[in-house]
Amino acid sequence: MKSQLFNMSVKASRLNQQHVRAALAIGTLILFVLGAGAPYTGNH
Amino acid sequence: MILLLAILVGLLVGAVRAWIGKRSFLIPDLHATWLVLIAFIPQWGAFYLPITRRLITTEFAAVALVSSQAILLLFAWFNRKHSAFWMLGLGLILNLTVIILNGGLMPISRETLTKLKLDAPITDWQLGSRVGNSKDILLSPAQTRLGWLSDRFVLPSWFPYKAAFSLGDLLIALGAVWLLWKSGGPKLNKLPNQSLLS
Repeated sequence: MKSQLFNMSVKASRLNQQHVRAALAIGTLILFVLGAGAPYTGNH
Repeated sequence: MILLLAILVGLLVGAVRAWIGKRSFLIPDLHATWLVLIAFIPQWGAFYLPITRRLITTEFAAVALVSSQAILLLFAWFNRKHSAFWMLGLGLILNLTVIILNGGLMPISRETLTKLKLDAPITDWQLGSRVGNSKDILLSPAQTRLGWLSDRFVLPSWFPYKAAFSLGDLLIALGAVWLLWKSGGPKLNKLPNQSLLS
């Protein structure tokens, strides 16, 4: 029972870490694309 | 915003590809992500933050744009093992080249602005001046160096959004879609440092 709970918590923390990594990667890509691109949108 | 649309499209096609293939949507871990944050700060102040972008001079905006894009190029180099970054990097090089050759801002012509059918009167802007608080500078085609790399393409009139973009912007958008499309594809060598999103 104890080891089952431990395994579940390890799995959950890994999932959270992976989601944070994915969010960071997408955030980085967004900033890169906004910084590298120079389209004119008329909103300025 | 038009480039954010490319990321949304990429996420969608990548996720659908992963779902069809019953795979995980794995975005590769990127190296030196802190460089992107550092690079974006001057652009954020010069072009995005409403309070500061009005106060910043054209000269400072040009320095901010060129230095920021040079750092982003370094980031693209650090991530060259991902094939999509070759396209992202090439798009950035094309944009940076035309920007440097035209005084530090992306050239756009009055003809292109006319095609956009903006609400604001474009006759108010003088040649050689920054177009509002954007990354663009208004130049005539004769004044523009490497005009084919400038913001000369416009979205079709049926598109619910008005934008002028360059060849470099197009490659950057395609590179972003490519990176995210590949994230939903089969993994030949599943790396331990990839990010799961499912």
